[in-house]
Amino acid sequence: MLRITGGKVYDPANNIDGVVKDVCIAEGRVVPEVKGGRSVDASGMVVLPGGVDIHSHIAGAALNFARGLTPENYRRALTFSHTPERRAGLGGITPTTFATGYLYAAMGWTTVNEAAVPILSARHTHEEMHDIPILDKASLVLMANNEIVLDLLEAGEVERARHVVAWLLWAAKAYGVKGVNPGGVVAWKSGKNANTLSDPVEGYTRVTPAGIISSLAGIVDDLRLPHPLHLHCNNLGVPGNVATTIETLKILEGRRCHMAHLQFHAYGGDGWGTIRSEAATLAEHFNARTNLTADAGAILFGDAMTITADGPWEHVLYKLTGRKWGNVDVENETGCGIVPYTYKERSLVNAVQWAAGLELLLLISDPWRIFLTTDHPNGACFWRYPELIDLLMHADRRRECLSRLAPAALKRIVLPDLDRQYTLSEIAIITSAGPARALGLARKGHLGVGADADVVLYDEMPGDRPLFGSPRYVIKGGEIAVEDGEIRPVSQGREFIVRPRFDEGIEDFLRPLFQKVYTISFNNYAVEMERLAGAEVHVCE
Amino acid sequence: MGGKVTCTLGEVKNRADFIVYWGGNPAECHPRHFTKYTLTQKGRFVPEGRKGRTMVLVDIRETPSARAADLFLQIRPGKDFEVLTTLRALVKKQRVDEEAAAGTGLTLDQLQDLVDRMKRARFGVLFFGMGVSMTRGKHMNSAAVLTLAAELNAFTKFVCMPMRGHGNVTGSDMVLRWSTGYPFGINLSRGYPRFNPGEFSTVDLLVRGDNDAALILGADPGATMPQPGIEHLARIPTIVLDPKVTHTSRLARVHITTAATGISAPGTVYRMDEVPLPLRPALKSPYPTDEEVIRRIRRAVAEKPAWTPAANAGMAIS
Repeated sequence: MLRITGGKVYDPANNIDGVVKDVCIAEGRVVPEVKGGRSVDASGMVVLPGGVDIHSHIAGAALNFARGLTPENYRRALTFSHTPERRAGLGGITPTTFATGYLYAAMGWTTVNEAAVPILSARHTHEEMHDIPILDKASLVLMANNEIVLDLLEAGEVERARHVVAWLLWAAKAYGVKGVNPGGVVAWKSGKNANTLSDPVEGYTRVTPAGIISSLAGIVDDLRLPHPLHLHCNNLGVPGNVATTIETLKILEGRRCHMAHLQFHAYGGDGWGTIRSEAATLAEHFNARTNLTADAGAILFGDAMTITADGPWEHVLYKLTGRKWGNVDVENETGCGIVPYTYKERSLVNAVQWAAGLELLLLISDPWRIFLTTDHPNGACFWRYPELIDLLMHADRRRECLSRLAPAALKRIVLPDLDRQYTLSEIAIITSAGPARALGLARKGHLGVGADADVVLYDEMPGDRPLFGSPRYVIKGGEIAVEDGEIRPVSQGREFIVRPRFDEGIEDFLRPLFQKVYTISFNNYAVEMERLAGAEVHVCE
Repeated sequence: MGGKVTCTLGEVKNRADFIVYWGGNPAECHPRHFTKYTLTQKGRFVPEGRKGRTMVLVDIRETPSARAADLFLQIRPGKDFEVLTTLRALVKKQRVDEEAAAGTGLTLDQLQDLVDRMKRARFGVLFFGMGVSMTRGKHMNSAAVLTLAAELNAFTKFVCMPMRGHGNVTGSDMVLRWSTGYPFGINLSRGYPRFNPGEFSTVDLLVRGDNDAALILGADPGATMPQPGIEHLARIPTIVLDPKVTHTSRLARVHITTAATGISAPGTVYRMDEVPLPLRPALKSPYPTDEEVIRRIRRAVAEKPAWTPAANAGMAIS
């Protein structure tokens, strides 16, 4: 039992905006009242719900590939020494599993969604998530280039495709469905891509990227999954791609969808020399479509690691940068590409990217529909979120940064004209309440009675020093996980998974197909429930 | 140079029409490779099976694998790097002197023919064995193979994969990577992971005699390490966990017999393409599993007074 007294509470989901009140905790949940137990004096502090990251890459085959690809990056990484309570690890651009848990928690984030899991290696992803301490986790499986699904769409068998998607989700013990460059990744297996939405995908005659997007969004809605289709649009990173993004918004009319890392899809121009930010145009279209949510995928200057299922894009990036290139094509399902990248202030393209991320966050008017992410580790590392929050809350900080950009860049962005400054309550929405709602996690992102007791306490510092980044206390599931910057031993986090409805007979369809196209046996494909640490199953009715 | 362009083995089965094995002898070392993944299977885009695929073997001697090859290219020992670099030059249409090729054991025409075949492939794959990665040039050879495959993607689809073996070596590599950031050669003596192959890798530690104890799991270094390393293992307290008697267990101070994983103990094994497979025991064993033994050792160690770098005031921690 725990009582947090005297803090100024920001709980936007319950319309509480800086009210001094007590938060009472018992058995891991927020309760109306407690008698006895420990009390934390929070006077002079602000109290927020624990952070929720809707799109990050923290575990799995691709990230582990990236770790192996760049051992040199760890030379400059933060080190975590082994103690009786804490496991050893390394921070840096691609933190190790244990360090990931400590770094997120120490920053005040308590729930993280791993956004790209191939089903074939889902077992591995769960093993890694098992080794991420403190945090609650969820994961999304890659489906928009799954050849079994695409073959069914080609044959017009949407009904059966729905059962297959549901079966695959349960086999992977995942929480939702991710689409990455629909049709483009499967085309990459023949060295091609999918640059237009209406032309047939390489190797198919009827299936188009547009068709994949609308079918998958529909299937996810029909299955009543708590989180809508999580979409990485076609033409990521390419100058002029805003047209594709807007076309995608139109395809999604009448469907729910979460648009991932929108910054990477908001460019105008027709080449690297003419690239400009079209965040304003995209925000205008997005504002009008309340069926959608998005995360920023903002970039910050410095070193990053691009990791995506978008294999063809990473080949482009390899050719552009000449740096190391990792690529893994996953049989029948997806691909993956990895290239280390450094965003530079003096680079015109990078300056446009930096501005576009902030512009989207400032121009999308409803904070409940745009969330703070850097598509970690693609745009910047998650542990740099406090820098982004600082930029959102202080227009003068943005001006300071703008003054360091190449003058040519200023003509291609609208950021200098934007004066909006985020309030603390809005920050609580884009970092916690909003993403929790979009993920359909009813007990996350707020401090109402019945909520998971994930609470963050910051010293209130008026003036210009940053508030975020070093919370005084982080409480996870009612236990104190961080106290004055020190990690404390707490219980292992949970994993959220869904159990959608499907016809059990679908296995009879899948089994012979498996023998033909896979190299592992059907019986070894589905992840066993025992592999998961503390699974919480959401049954979709 | 650097990076790795690869795929899972199902992609090879479904798509590869051009397969190169380099510095390896899969017929004897990975006997199911041809039949399960690379040659005889009918794939989704290779419906003819073996007839739809071309296999080239590159090695320093004619091994039994050559019988399965459409083309065998014998190169001089220790010339892998030179051959690979020449191929990279030819791929980029750079001028190569006939003499430069002469020392490799192959003619320029043979090399040009290989490059043409690689470029003509619809989906090419290059498997490389320890004949490349563990001979003179070592990691530079591996880097050259990996770069050749990466650069071929400017012309066609091409991937690359090391022919790993020795039990669950890939699994160990995977777990160490996610828990410490590094695949092998890791030193935890400062309390956090440090990596330096050549300094902290097992063979170097043993040969120099740096370590004063050894716990060996799922490996038989007594059979493969250089003699000074083996002698060091015999000198220090060596503890071996193994289901059977091995070269290492014979020279160890303690051998704890454990249940064989995959036969009488459950677990996970990673294939060479990093795909994890569950292991389900078919038999019962009177012996404990490796995991059980390690847990019991850890519990016993935990009962001793704490020794951690953080608790040890004399040690500098960065």
